[in-house]
Amino acid sequence: MNIVVLAKLVPDLVEELTIDANGNALDSSFARLIINEFDDHAIEQGILLKERGGGSVTIIAPDAEGADDVLFTAAAKGADRLIKIKGDFSNVNNHALARAFAKVVSGIKPDLVLTGVQAHNDLDGALGPLLAELLEMPYIGYVSAVSINGDKVLIKKEYPGGLLAEMDVQLPAILGIQAAEEPPRYVAVSKVRQAMKTSSIEEQDASNLDPCGGSAIGRMFQPEASSHATMITGSPDEVAEKLVGVFKELGIV
Amino acid sequence: MPIRETFWNIPQWAETAQYVLGFITAVVFVYGIVRRVMRWRQGQPDKRFDHIGARLRTLFTQAILQLRVASEAYAGVMHLAIFWGIIALLIGTALATLDWDVTHLFFGFQFLKDGFYIGYELTLDIFGLLLMIGLGMAIYRRFILRPKRLQNPWPTLTRDDAYVLGMLTLIAITGYLVEGLRIAVTQPSWANWSPVGNAIAALFIATGDPTNRILHLSLWSFHILIAFTLLASLPFTKLFHIAAVPTNIFFHSLTPAGTLSAPRSADSVGVKAWKEFTWKQILDFESCTRCGRCQDVCPAYASTQILSPRNMMIKLETHIWEKANGRQLHSDVITADELWGCTTCRACSEVCPAFIDHLSSFVDMRRYLVAEGQVDAQLQKALANLGRYGNSFGQSERMRAKWTQPITSKIKDARREAVEYLWFVGDYASYSPTLTEITSKTAQVFQKAGLDFGILYDGERNAGNDVRRVGEEGLFETLVEKNVSVLGKCSYKKIVTTDPHSYNTVKNEYPRSETSEVLHYTELLDQLIASGQLKFNKRLGYKVTYHDPCYLGRYNGVYDAPRRVIEATGCELVEMPRHGDRAFCCGAGGGRIWMKEAEVKERPSEARVREAVSLDGVNTLVTACPKDITMFRDAVKTTGNEERLAVKDLIELVYAAL
Repeated sequence: MNIVVLAKLVPDLVEELTIDANGNALDSSFARLIINEFDDHAIEQGILLKERGGGSVTIIAPDAEGADDVLFTAAAKGADRLIKIKGDFSNVNNHALARAFAKVVSGIKPDLVLTGVQAHNDLDGALGPLLAELLEMPYIGYVSAVSINGDKVLIKKEYPGGLLAEMDVQLPAILGIQAAEEPPRYVAVSKVRQAMKTSSIEEQDASNLDPCGGSAIGRMFQPEASSHATMITGSPDEVAEKLVGVFKELGIV
Repeated sequence: MPIRETFWNIPQWAETAQYVLGFITAVVFVYGIVRRVMRWRQGQPDKRFDHIGARLRTLFTQAILQLRVASEAYAGVMHLAIFWGIIALLIGTALATLDWDVTHLFFGFQFLKDGFYIGYELTLDIFGLLLMIGLGMAIYRRFILRPKRLQNPWPTLTRDDAYVLGMLTLIAITGYLVEGLRIAVTQPSWANWSPVGNAIAALFIATGDPTNRILHLSLWSFHILIAFTLLASLPFTKLFHIAAVPTNIFFHSLTPAGTLSAPRSADSVGVKAWKEFTWKQILDFESCTRCGRCQDVCPAYASTQILSPRNMMIKLETHIWEKANGRQLHSDVITADELWGCTTCRACSEVCPAFIDHLSSFVDMRRYLVAEGQVDAQLQKALANLGRYGNSFGQSERMRAKWTQPITSKIKDARREAVEYLWFVGDYASYSPTLTEITSKTAQVFQKAGLDFGILYDGERNAGNDVRRVGEEGLFETLVEKNVSVLGKCSYKKIVTTDPHSYNTVKNEYPRSETSEVLHYTELLDQLIASGQLKFNKRLGYKVTYHDPCYLGRYNGVYDAPRRVIEATGCELVEMPRHGDRAFCCGAGGGRIWMKEAEVKERPSEARVREAVSLDGVNTLVTACPKDITMFRDAVKTTGNEERLAVKDLIELVYAAL
């Protein structure tokens, strides 16, 4: 079983986010990056599958500050192969990212591709479906359990209202992981250091990042405070009189 | 003429049989000792042959004088009576052997005669009585009083306890009877010098010969038989502590209590199976006499009963002798809950008469759990935060010095300008919203004392004390590297810390060059008051009690400085029953503050708050550790004592008295 997990880094919300000078993107020079939490679950699910049924796990991450840490940490958990896609991934859209991933993934010929179902900077969760289109594989999102059954996987998919569905998917397939079956494990720093010594990161070039098909952001901004509600107080007569005044002011009466 | 007639009434066959028995006993005894030592040698190496002089001194005060044993009244009197009783009787027996089998046999003279012999008889008679009193106290305690700390996890241990006490008692009683019968028959003129023997003789004189001679020979044979049996079985019973404890005391760690040994394997995986312990740790397990003093002072035992340091030693000792039966050290012998329950308060080691270093083994086993990722979700989150942001709060390092913002006169950035005192503030004092007011008061006190000080702002990281004690050595190393690299760029004379936990690791575990002198702020305040640099305008007049933080008191011996500061503020200090090196831990140490709390009837912090509340007229609990403040303020609420007890940091008293 050849399992590929896609892991990307997203801005760490511990830091205050700032908008760049153009006003249509985050100021990436101030952002500290952290692994997308859902991708962390995807890695855990990949490792769990390997531990249960064997196979190999390849982790692919786009280049960013901290990508090496993410890859080595995954290696310490049990990932076999680490690939970093070189390129400028600051402020790329999902279309560009999906194309970059697709190029690397198709070279690996995986049986199963796992990725986080969404990210806090991609609440639509478009990456998985876009990749599925490019690789011509089936896609199922909001997956919270995976077991391999011959050339199929049996998955649990979450629906709103606490409902679950079980379904078979023909391999190769792409799954958007909502939650791994176990919470992502802790890896001791010493183990990560060991992984840094024993494993290596392959680098592959993204060549050109093609954002075609995505939407363009016109303006990005902090929520602006809207006007506050005005409380009308007094005796019922006074309140009625004031209310009539407001209606008149607004031209309703 | 008084002279010792050894082997009176003993026929040649019995005398010969005694020597044969003695030889067999010696063989079994030596085999038993060798068997134990071989087992220790299966452990990992550990260099413990330095400072022979200091080691011999401790051996004298703790194995011979047994000062620590004596620190408890009942158990102390009991043990010392048995110990000295047996020692005197052993010396007596040795003298008798020398007298008969060496000087008499080869040189034809005896020294056990005349006045010396009379003194000999009298001394042995009295020490025999002492032994009987000690044994009586032991039997009364073990079988009538039955304190909880002596209860055994399995019955073989109880049989061992009973065997040793029973045999010793039999030896003492038969010894007296044999003496009494001899006196009854021979009726020497100096019999009054053996008061106990003479009193027993009085009971037998009426029986007369030859009954008494027969009785004497039978009891003598029985006495010899059980004495040799006990001696031969010594290495196989709890009596082995006679050999193991002095050895353990001799080899006990001479490094400061606050310096934890690094993992022995390069990949820091800790101890998975017992042979990965050092020989000294194995000797620790073998030295445990099951006295239970550790259990009595253990905060984890008091609150949850999940772990008893005594039972852990017992289980480990039993485990190393188990035949290969598939039982694993982790989970089968020692559970993760036991290991995580420990607050590393060190109360156990402080009272252990055998000088067992419980924590070194516990942390080695925790290291294995961490390497295996067996940590609870809350601890995992804290460790991840510490790794990523350098603090357990999961906040940006940019927020570390946010507490300084309301302070009008800016605190120096020690990374940019030279300072005399580099103030290592620590996580809790920097980030915890309920503590920043106290931290700000500390800054203001420093400023009013005209101190030249600075902080590291966002350059500071968690010092790593508790990270290390959780067993995350790699993360500890990372934190140390980061702090040391920042400290290396600063110019300062002394480091002062708010948190006793930071104090401990920076003082005892950081590379020496970076830690020329490390002070806890209570020590600094004490110095400033003594030198007149810090003067008070008010005398507060509160009646307060003081809680010794574990890492300040037990770990580093700082007991007096905070008390002097309290006095200087004009407060009256009333001690809690458990104070100084017996202070009862708040339950936060060793990473416990990051872990999920077990459901318990009474948390250690609640027990401690109740202890403070019970003091007459005391309305303030003073401490000098941010974690203590957090724990006790919470416990004051959960125990409904908000009206009765205020929890204050020492600096709050100082600030109020300025």
